[in-house]
Amino acid sequence: MKVNTNSNTYIIIYSVVMVVIVAVLLALASLGLKSRQDENILNEKQTQIVKALGENPDEVAYNDIITNAVLLDASGAVVSEDTKQVFAALNDLKGSFAAGQYPLFVATSGVVVPMYGAGLWGPIWGYIALDTDMNTVKGIVLDHSGETPGLGAEITTMKHQRLYVGKTVYEGDEIVGITLKKGGADKSNPHEVDAITGGTKTSDGVSAMIKECLNYYKPYLSAVREADAADPAVEGQGESNTLND
Amino acid sequence: MASKSLKNLTAPLSGNNPVIVQILGICSALAVTVQLKPAIVMGLSVMVVTAFSNLVMSLLRNGVPSRIRIIVQLVVIAALVILVDQVLKAFVYDVSKQLSVYVGLIITNCIVMGRVEAFALQNKPWDSFLDGIGNGLGYAAILVIIAFFRELLGSGSLFGVRLIPESWYIAEGGVYSNCGLMLFPPMALIIVGCIIWAHRSFNKDLQEK
Repeated sequence: MKVNTNSNTYIIIYSVVMVVIVAVLLALASLGLKSRQDENILNEKQTQIVKALGENPDEVAYNDIITNAVLLDASGAVVSEDTKQVFAALNDLKGSFAAGQYPLFVATSGVVVPMYGAGLWGPIWGYIALDTDMNTVKGIVLDHSGETPGLGAEITTMKHQRLYVGKTVYEGDEIVGITLKKGGADKSNPHEVDAITGGTKTSDGVSAMIKECLNYYKPYLSAVREADAADPAVEGQGESNTLND
Repeated sequence: MASKSLKNLTAPLSGNNPVIVQILGICSALAVTVQLKPAIVMGLSVMVVTAFSNLVMSLLRNGVPSRIRIIVQLVVIAALVILVDQVLKAFVYDVSKQLSVYVGLIITNCIVMGRVEAFALQNKPWDSFLDGIGNGLGYAAILVIIAFFRELLGSGSLFGVRLIPESWYIAEGGVYSNCGLMLFPPMALIIVGCIIWAHRSFNKDLQEK
């Protein structure tokens, strides 16, 4: 049987069959692999939160260090303490920020604030951990989806992320964040770190992201700071308990 | 027969190399060669895609309507790339993150479609599969050579491991400085040019009169 492979009917049937087969194949692959992929993504988020606090994720598990994962509203009040809901909000951080939902991770040694912003080629995101004074940076984790390897993508290296430790984000009552300074940071300035060579746009994106995202959490962070300032004796949770007794 | 099949595998490594002889896939060779690790993973991913797109298209070659063959090729290649991407995300999440957007860009790599169009549509599945592996390897080899020089001279490291001691740098009181130009795409093009130059002076039959 000789089929004319150039007739219109053949071409149309061929295309339809081909598209259906490919669509089914890809849908099956996507469905079959989704649970594994989601697990990887959740695992990575928890690892990054632990890393932001300056701990080694191989030694310290997420559940051991994070005492509470909460969802805040724009006024800094806690609206949910359901971990599932917090991670759901974290999965679409951009949408959550727009909807006025702000996930926050509380540890005994500080808080971890998730961040989302724009780099040169695509989105950048990360976590910044603040000490119990809500001002000193304990650590930072930065990540990206499409920055150039060796240039903008250098924000993910330890070498770059180490620079942030010990810097402060408050200037008086305002959150100024941390600026990535092109041409080298002034060592005495507590709000500056070196920018990435050849990655100026990505560096600017990181500066803007830190400032913008921390300001979303300002009502909460400032409230904690004021509570501390009003009662300087209260530093750790352990001490506050003994004072209450 | 066996030696002829083998030739499909070995020819693209040097004499018919896709990058430095056929001058295909230059764009991605510029983009992912700043460091060695992404270059190697990219080379392997392209190899998997060229091998299997060649195999699938060779199996389909007698039924494909020639008027829409380019569309059919693109659908097959795109489906394979998405599959590779999904599998990487599920099983080697770290690597998938390293490659980021470049996995998607394999679809546009001229080598993949070039080999399907020029080889797989006229040849048997096994030969086509070997041709795909060979061209993928030839591409990977050039990427690794470029990435070697760019990472060594541009960052002073290989596979992210520092090779030039910190104390040699001007900032630390030494006399050495990384070549910042190496981090930019034009240097990859210049290195490709140097490789082609060296390659042709050893292979006189490739020189144009």
